[in-house]
Amino acid sequence: MYNNVGTQSGVPIPPTNSQPNPFGNAFYGASSGLIRGGLGAYGEKFLGSSSEYVQSNISRYFSDPQYYFQVNDQYVWNKLKVVLFPFLHRGHWTRITEPVGGRLSYKPPIYDINAPDLYIPFMAFGTYVVLAGFSLGLHGKFSPEALNWLFIKGLLGWFLQVALLKVTLLSLGSGEAPLLDIVAYAGYTFTGMCLAVLGKLVWGYSYYFLMPWTCLCMGIFLVKTMKRVLFAELRSYDSSKHHYLLLFIALAQLPLFIWLGNISVNWLL
Amino acid sequence: MKEFAVPPVVFPSGGNPAAGSGVQQRRIATAPFQPQRPSGSSIPFMSFDAGSATASTSSTSIYGGPIGGGGGAPGGAGFEDEEPLLDELGIHPDQIWKKTKAILNPFRVNPALHKDSDLSGPILLYMFLCLFQLLAGKIQFGVILGWIVVSSIFLYVVFNMLAGRNGNLDLHTCTGVVGYCMLPLVIFSAVSLFVPQVGAVRFVIAAVFVFWATRVCTGLMVALADGGDEHRGLIAYACLLIYTLFSLLVIF
Repeated sequence: MYNNVGTQSGVPIPPTNSQPNPFGNAFYGASSGLIRGGLGAYGEKFLGSSSEYVQSNISRYFSDPQYYFQVNDQYVWNKLKVVLFPFLHRGHWTRITEPVGGRLSYKPPIYDINAPDLYIPFMAFGTYVVLAGFSLGLHGKFSPEALNWLFIKGLLGWFLQVALLKVTLLSLGSGEAPLLDIVAYAGYTFTGMCLAVLGKLVWGYSYYFLMPWTCLCMGIFLVKTMKRVLFAELRSYDSSKHHYLLLFIALAQLPLFIWLGNISVNWLL
Repeated sequence: MKEFAVPPVVFPSGGNPAAGSGVQQRRIATAPFQPQRPSGSSIPFMSFDAGSATASTSSTSIYGGPIGGGGGAPGGAGFEDEEPLLDELGIHPDQIWKKTKAILNPFRVNPALHKDSDLSGPILLYMFLCLFQLLAGKIQFGVILGWIVVSSIFLYVVFNMLAGRNGNLDLHTCTGVVGYCMLPLVIFSAVSLFVPQVGAVRFVIAAVFVFWATRVCTGLMVALADGGDEHRGLIAYACLLIYTLFSLLVIF
């Protein structure tokens, strides 16, 4: 797909391997080619700069999405256990790297429990929307428009979480972790959220116990994950600043969870 | 019995109708019976002036013109060489019926029938769902259509991403399968008109129908497109989410 766009514009492209691409050069599936070709073509139209600049930037921001869907049942089950009960995880938290084509890249999620994936976040988000609609219905306030607003609220919450993680990374001087990684880590909050809403459905008061519990678990999970990410991405290790930022991430989970868990017709609240 | 002098009806386009042009000529329903009038009538009604052959031919010519024009319009070959309307639109009612009947059995999927996907069956099922919702007092035509579109795109993306390199589901097939597997939900919305609004009965019945729909949908998806076999459970969960969403519309 790169080559097609390049030859159309008449500019000979050198192989675009100059950017560090931690996922290797595996372009598989129709999806990644479509995204790259499509984004490459649009980038050409709108930015008008040379295609190699545009395409290399896109590969920096949107790494191959197919990597995140290489999951199987066992991985999903184990990952859910890790996300919901992170203190029970006995192993280490680093991702396994393997040399692919002369460059180190991370192993896909099937082989590595610590690799992020996008299947669980998407399903958890969907489950959150459905369960929240259910809870609205049990209080007699269900309407399709309310469900649409819940969807938007969930998306906004996801976006806020991504922004939080990204700002943390940027403030330490490097934001080079792939965007889809951050999106995946942020999406894991919805698993905890689903558990809390499910508790709310089953017995109203259990929510006041489950919600802080899942909030705490998510905080621990994010801290442990971001510690590894920061360690991998940054050159210098400024211990105290790191720790304050990690603590900030953990503390910021609480307002986010309270906001997302407050399921009512007035979506903004 | 009185004899009425009915002048022969002459069409300018074809010949004598008695000569047997048959289907092509449309018979005019206007006043085939023209009563005898005294030729000295002061009121010259065009169509009722029986005595004058000129009047009658001019009246038939009024109708004969457009008829001849209408009859001659569809191609030169004419009316009987056209396909039936449903065939031309691509709607095959017997195929739709067979496909719908195949969904009724939740324990055995029959993918051969669903190989060539069509969207007219799903549209029919969508109209029935909207009809039953309307009977329940909820006007949700746009909502259901929008949710079907969004959920089939969602399932399409998830399936192709999971299947990886050899995923070859296309959006048309996906929408067709999602649409056909709405049949249990259509039945549920009909049944829910008679089930009391309060109480746990609704949820139990809903669960039965949702699981039915999920099972059929997963079976069809895995059978119709490659690469879904080892991810059966993951795809089943996605289908479960979709049909639970629609069942929310019916329950509440």
